[in-house]
Amino acid sequence: MRRRPDWSTLILLGPPLAFLLVLFAVPLARVVWGSFFAPELTLEHYRRMWTVPVYGRVFWITLKVSALTTLFCILLGYPAAYFLASVSARTRQALLLCVIVPFFLSVLVRNYVWMVLLQRTGLVNQALVGAGLIAHPLELMYNELGVLIAMVNMLLPYMIFPLLSALLAISPELYHASSSLGGGAIRTFWRVTLPLSVPGIAAGGLLVFIVALGFFITPALLGGPKQMMISNLIEFNVRQVLNWPFAFALANVLLCGTLLLYFAYIRVLEGRLPKAGFP
Amino acid sequence: MPPSGISRIRFRRGRLKRLAARGLLAVLGGGVLAFLVVPVIAVIPMSFSSSMVFELIPAAPGLTQYRRFFASPEWMDALGRSVQVALGTTVVATMLGTLAALGLVRIRSRWRTVLEAALISARIVPSIVFAVAAYFVFSLVGVVGTIAGLILAHSVLAFPFVVVLVTSALDGFDRSLEEASQSLGAGPIRTFFRITFPQIRLAVFGGALFAFNVSFDEVVVTLFISGVRSKTLPVKVWDAINYEITPILPAISTLIILVSVVLLTPLLLYRRRA
Repeated sequence: MRRRPDWSTLILLGPPLAFLLVLFAVPLARVVWGSFFAPELTLEHYRRMWTVPVYGRVFWITLKVSALTTLFCILLGYPAAYFLASVSARTRQALLLCVIVPFFLSVLVRNYVWMVLLQRTGLVNQALVGAGLIAHPLELMYNELGVLIAMVNMLLPYMIFPLLSALLAISPELYHASSSLGGGAIRTFWRVTLPLSVPGIAAGGLLVFIVALGFFITPALLGGPKQMMISNLIEFNVRQVLNWPFAFALANVLLCGTLLLYFAYIRVLEGRLPKAGFP
Repeated sequence: MPPSGISRIRFRRGRLKRLAARGLLAVLGGGVLAFLVVPVIAVIPMSFSSSMVFELIPAAPGLTQYRRFFASPEWMDALGRSVQVALGTTVVATMLGTLAALGLVRIRSRWRTVLEAALISARIVPSIVFAVAAYFVFSLVGVVGTIAGLILAHSVLAFPFVVVLVTSALDGFDRSLEEASQSLGAGPIRTFFRITFPQIRLAVFGGALFAFNVSFDEVVVTLFISGVRSKTLPVKVWDAINYEITPILPAISTLIILVSVVLLTPLLLYRRRA
């Protein structure tokens, strides 16, 4: 029996859809509109971000920091996911708390703690100087390094969850086949595990990159003036110089970039990845 | 659950090599997991410091900073507002999210995917974009700096979590029970409260906890729409980080983390049971 949407469905979906329309869709549409019409049609704001070198730099920094964050999330996330896949289910459930719990804690608080840890007199420098490894404190924040440390820390769960579910989905028979055919552990990894976990790497990597593009708090707190990312430039234009149309244009670029990548993520990966135990 | 495939890889060249490989993996993997919890673990001892310098292990541990927090009318004002907004968000987001989920699972065509994507799209849009959009429209209507404005904006962000949780609970429940109830003469409302709700109430409760957590921790959108009059706790923390160094922050950070952990615990227990 095929159920057709009926009145009760409309009554149920009506209020939430109206709510989203008024509070989400209309404001976003206003941003897109305002970036083109101020008040008459102009592409001036888009031309400006293309021609003024400072803005090109901000875009470049945004892409570079996001790409580096993605790279380090893959490099660090892989051993973590592989380790989680190699332990018993019970141990895995317990260890996964290290990934899940921080993920739901305040982003602001976690960034603040990194500021305390990475500042000149912070714990990391104290420990390094105390251990005699360095003579003078290192500059660990207000630069790209600080931004990367905190962003990788915050985005790693987005990498670990899809990767772990890809690794757990590899059939144990394949490992037996590989080793009974004479493949050692390292060869098995290169020929079996790594190729089969590529969808997990791609899914996690794309997610990390997408979320990284819109990061605001970390570059604002742990970056210097040279680490201004697109979100920070938007905030600057709205709150400091009150250039609304330009802020709208920047926001529209970020919005479209994010949505395009997200559709790519769904198109490319739908069905290839087992449904992650992702909350 | 059987042990996963990876744990059963046979290392050809003997036990020693196998042990070394597993040891290396545990050190690397464990190291990354430790890195993830560093910020959470580091802030707790700092919060018991009574000095102005940050110490990992305070020389004279005490509750000085917590006392200062609870004695400060300014901080208490922000905390009260945060709780108010989070409670309001919980109510709005949970009700709307549950309604949306109930409607969504009644659709059996490909429209469901489209609608589902639309309903959770607030999770994909970067918060700065929504912040600017909400700030602009809210100032036109004059709700910037009001509790109601904050509740509405936070509800947009919290709502997708409720939709996802309740939808998956509804997908796992035998809908012929509803039809049976209706054919036995119960109206739709009675059927909902007697049959459907008892099946999904854990998911609804979980969604409510999520909604509270999202609102209580939200900072980017709130930064724009709270105005100077109605700063929430995270916005006050943001100001303090940017404009004044105060040793009270680790204590407040610990409390904010504690709230999330308390909210999260039932969800994690529920997850394990499911």
